[in-house]
Amino acid sequence: MSIASLAPRADFPLLAANPALHYLDSAATSQKPAAMLDALRHFYETSNANPHRGAYALSALATDAYHDARATIARFVGVADADCLIFTRGTTESMNLVASSWGGAHVGPGDEIVVSAIEHHANFVPWQQLALRTGATLRIVELTSTQTIDLDMLRDVIGARTKIVAITHVSNAVGSITPLQDVVRIVRSRSAAVIVVDGAQAVPHLAVNFDALDIDFYAFSGHKLLGPMGIGVLVGRRKLLEAMPPYQFGGDMIEWVRDADSTWNVLPHKFEAGTPNAADAVALAAAVRYLDGLGMANVRAHEIALLEAAEARVRALPGVTVYGPPAAQRSGVLSFSLADVHPHDLATILDQHGVCIRAGHHCAQPLMRRLGVSATARASFYVYSDGSDVDALVGALTAAQQLFATVD
Amino acid sequence: MSSVAPFTASIAAMYQDALLAHHRAPHNRRVIESPSAVGARKNPVCGDDITVMVTLESDAVRDVAFTGRGCSIATASASMMTDAVLGLTVSDALALADAVDRMLHPDAGQAGSADAVPEPLPDALTPLRGVAPFPGRHGCAMLPWQALREALTAKR
Repeated sequence: MSIASLAPRADFPLLAANPALHYLDSAATSQKPAAMLDALRHFYETSNANPHRGAYALSALATDAYHDARATIARFVGVADADCLIFTRGTTESMNLVASSWGGAHVGPGDEIVVSAIEHHANFVPWQQLALRTGATLRIVELTSTQTIDLDMLRDVIGARTKIVAITHVSNAVGSITPLQDVVRIVRSRSAAVIVVDGAQAVPHLAVNFDALDIDFYAFSGHKLLGPMGIGVLVGRRKLLEAMPPYQFGGDMIEWVRDADSTWNVLPHKFEAGTPNAADAVALAAAVRYLDGLGMANVRAHEIALLEAAEARVRALPGVTVYGPPAAQRSGVLSFSLADVHPHDLATILDQHGVCIRAGHHCAQPLMRRLGVSATARASFYVYSDGSDVDALVGALTAAQQLFATVD
Repeated sequence: MSSVAPFTASIAAMYQDALLAHHRAPHNRRVIESPSAVGARKNPVCGDDITVMVTLESDAVRDVAFTGRGCSIATASASMMTDAVLGLTVSDALALADAVDRMLHPDAGQAGSADAVPEPLPDALTPLRGVAPFPGRHGCAMLPWQALREALTAKR
């Protein structure tokens, strides 16, 4: 199959060193370009000092690099006010920050928190636990037959008691893209709820503009968009962030400490306790520049082409169920089951063919329950994927079916 | 730069006919109506779950069966487990679960090194040795044994 990769494999040291490897687990974590790895190394080799702390040139260099990284990433996700972009450890921490800080201050008995049945655990459990902690009610919006959020049910569920609507932009498990504009319209017309969006699977694959979305919080992780593990982002509206209590205490988030109480630093520092993860922020900015160079419209077009080609060939195998809406309404995720071959067995057999896929519940157990399965197999594509990856996937699936004798 | 080796251990050795036969037609996959003890375990990785039911008589396993869903390794392991522990005392059945655990984990000094002497296991469990080189699948193979342990330990 002749679909070329969008980004040269040569730009990715791990892929370059493993020409026979077919990495189809980018929804779990992406591979890393040399440009990002170089930036990480360059920071530690040339600018390593504690940002904001030292009254010397090297510390100023580190501070500038950290500041520039924030500005670059803010531009990439359409945030004009870069001080409203908080660096966290990842999407999970971002969600816990909002649940703990905003939720802890504003949610009480009788209030309602709305999530959907497709959420990743990181955007489900923090809200479930907030509800349990505060006496609020967790309302779960169900899904359509193609695993997208049921807007009719959303309309029914949202009301005067709704305090928070937490919803994913793109499903990690089946790839469905949420019609965010419709969601926002429904929520805004029926409630004063804050809208929290899990963008972990969206920012790597779609052009995102936070300011244009009319939402309140948006979270994503660095490692899924060519960046390092252990850094992520929370974007919020200034008015909300300024009114929120801190999430953690210590380090840069401090302004004055008196014996009896303390005051807090301004945004974004108020939510960045401890020594900031400057090196990873700088590396994430380099990853973002790399993606910018490819063009997010090209990223999207490339993924749709691969997804449509892969899906047609996988569907042609006997006993296949593909989950989610049509390829054009999904990110680069192909989630499927093969009759009589458990996803775990598939993943083991595919690995022997050099094909890395994810098999499991994808940290989306509420969704798996609704699909009536314990697990699915998930192949996920990204900028370095090409037609040979699809060939290898289909070839290995055929081999698995032969081993399990589900085909002659 | 070193390269990533996919699983090089023989897939065929793991998915041998004996194991696949258990997977296709598991032994004792049924419900025991009034068991003496029940254990249930879930694999947090994939959500698979296995429930093991045991009937005890004079501290011996008089009947054992399982229900639930799992991959071929978990299902075959459950099937073989029911064959292997039938008639054993509770102590011997628990010891056998420990032996399977040690066989699967190279760190325990059994399966990992080439010169390690394999611990004796009943012939019925021989197909499980093929799983040892696949650390990602140890949890699948142990799932029914953990459920058995839970049932028997609770009963002790």
